[in-house]
Amino acid sequence: MAGLINAAPVDKPEDYRNIFVYLENRDGQLQRPALEMIGVGKRLAQKVNEKLYCVLIGSKISEMADEAASYGCDMVLGADSPDLADFRTMPYAKIVEDFVKKEKPNIFLIPATRNGRDLASRIAVSCQAGVTADCTEIDIEEDTRILSANRPTYGESMLAEILCKRHRPQMATARAGIFPVPEKVDGSKCEKRIEKVKVDKSLLKKEIIEFRKKEAIDLTAAKVVVSGGMGLGSPAGFKLVGELAEQMNGVVGASRPTADLGWITRDHQVGQTGQTVRPRLYVACGISGKIQHIMGMKNSENIISINIDPNAEIFRYSDYVIVDDVNKVLPALIDEIKKYKKEHLKKAKVASR
Amino acid sequence: MPLDIIVMVKQVPDSQEVVIDPVTMNLNRSLTRNVTNRADENALEVALSLRDKAGGTVTVISMGPPQAETTMYECMARGADRAILVSDRLFGGADTYPTGLTLASTISKIGRFDVVIAGEESSDSSTGHVGPGVAEFLNIEQITYCSNVEYKDGFIVAERELEGGTEVVRTPTPVLITVLLNSNFPRRQTLRRKIDAMKKGFEVWNLEKLGLPPEWVGVRGSPTIVRKMRSIKEKERAAKKYDLSNLGELVKELYEKNILKLEEE
Ligand SMILES: Cc1cc2nc3c(=O)[nH]c(=O)nc-3n(C[C@H](O)[C@H](O)[C@H](O)COP(=O)(O)OP(=O)(O)OC[C@H]3O[C@@H](n4cnc5c(N)ncnc54)[C@H](O)[C@@H]3O)c2cc1C
Ligand SMILES: Nc1ncnc2c1ncn2[C@@H]1O[C@H](COP(=O)(O)O)[C@@H](O)[C@H]1O
Repeated sequence: MAGLINAAPVDKPEDYRNIFVYLENRDGQLQRPALEMIGVGKRLAQKVNEKLYCVLIGSKISEMADEAASYGCDMVLGADSPDLADFRTMPYAKIVEDFVKKEKPNIFLIPATRNGRDLASRIAVSCQAGVTADCTEIDIEEDTRILSANRPTYGESMLAEILCKRHRPQMATARAGIFPVPEKVDGSKCEKRIEKVKVDKSLLKKEIIEFRKKEAIDLTAAKVVVSGGMGLGSPAGFKLVGELAEQMNGVVGASRPTADLGWITRDHQVGQTGQTVRPRLYVACGISGKIQHIMGMKNSENIISINIDPNAEIFRYSDYVIVDDVNKVLPALIDEIKKYKKEHLKKAKVASR
Repeated sequence: MPLDIIVMVKQVPDSQEVVIDPVTMNLNRSLTRNVTNRADENALEVALSLRDKAGGTVTVISMGPPQAETTMYECMARGADRAILVSDRLFGGADTYPTGLTLASTISKIGRFDVVIAGEESSDSSTGHVGPGVAEFLNIEQITYCSNVEYKDGFIVAERELEGGTEVVRTPTPVLITVLLNSNFPRRQTLRRKIDAMKKGFEVWNLEKLGLPPEWVGVRGSPTIVRKMRSIKEKERAAKKYDLSNLGELVKELYEKNILKLEEE
């Protein structure tokens, strides 16, 4: 607990060592942003030759600890209790605060998911640390071990580099979907220190009455995303979008207004207030390219956009553009793909015989 | 039981017309209009409707420069009972830590409260950290990212929107709540209340009133600094043109470059 106290700088920053990452989990599963954090943490730890610690809080966490270990971290610090089955701010923040005060990490990274931000903002105060929110680039200076935390600002037009020189730990939250999931490592040597903890009842006043799961589709893992926008003209347009996605082994995405209008469910939305994707191929069908949408897809490896307006903003972000009516282009494109597959799959079969 | 509610609101540059000085890379404030942060209008609406049902008071607080007075009047014209602008040159350049500290000590000074409400984030710094920071300074429970908030028999029951679904939680007061942008329709300002607000006025509190040491607030009290700003370079993309007549070529190129694959891995 903080009380009304200032953020006092630490006397000896050099006493603070190692990289900590927080492993977000739900229903006994590490969430993808947790793995993304391991990837970032490993890179920083290797650069300054320090250890990567993963903080894991939950109930029955040993399998998750094993999974984290398989990505090649040095230590899993775990707190396990039935009272910790669901994320709740007060007990989680207390446990993390205790870990930080005991272990004195130099850096602490947390995913900028909703619960991640909920937690990070509290720990920053209880540990009198500096925190940079929602980073899209994270690095460390080798000689000074100062974290370079970079976040977009001014409507994503600029990137601000933020440092925290005299306070420890140096904290940052990292935007989900930006950093890659690392490869697993064979035979990694990871120590696991999992404590069964007793949670103080006074921290458990918040009750979770229910969790209404959305049949959320995970766009961030898809190799191909085909998204529809207002240019489709009607909800029926998403049938074509779905068909193209199927032909491309991809999933369906959407711009926000189509979700607002109920043409498709919210979990398909790409952008600032939806998901951030970086697939091998992104296809934007009848999407104008407003910044809030662009933010969610501009790092895709390849981008095709279909728009009737030859001056559409989205074209500036596209590798391939098709200037025509999306409701004519989609059926034609689907046909061409079917044709191509028919020819080449046949050839492949003949060749393998 | 009536509820005493404190709402934290921030005045922000209108995001529709942000102008950046090409030399300093800073926001050109003289060319940018200021408005009330939109999520904070949703926060105020939650406060007003809780008060309308349970009784009690709504006090708006804001840390900011003198021009934030328009936001103070606006909130009163929507129905807030009292408004306090916490303003001092020494508060300038604060990051989230001293901002939270300044607002939390304002709340302590006000004394009585059951619920503190903030927006999910501000459109200019967009961290979402100030609300929970205040909760930590005050050592109270928090419920973030709420789309719906109700008060029943001494408990706040709220719906939180998370990545995988909606969580329904219940907690006794005191509690800090953060409210999602666009989660409700903020009531309009009325002329009548506008006139009343002008007559009544709002309070201005400075650093001395809060009694915090000057090195705890503003830029001096901030752990983080901005080292530099750079414009985000977009990857150059060719925007190679196709139309209905040559889609076959496009498809061929996609497969040949392995952008599409016949057998998905
Ligand atoms: C705080 C905030 C958050 C937001 N978050 C998001 C977000 O997460 N994701 C998001 O997508 N948006 C978001 N938005 C909304 C965003 O600003 C845009 O309004 C939205 O992206 C536009 O969607 P659109 O491109 O589908 O529609 P429009 O802008 O209406 O564009 C439709 C396009 O279709 C083209 N078109 C029309 N007819 C045809 C045709 N027959 N064939 C081909 N093309 C055609 C038009 O030329 C036009 O370019 C947000 C806005 C705010 C203020
Ligand atoms: N200077 C301020 N004065 C009053 N409230 C603020 C201030 N800064 C932030 N807040 C509140 O904290 C919320 C989150 O802001 P931020 O952490 O800046 O994204 C805002 O929606 C406001 O409710």
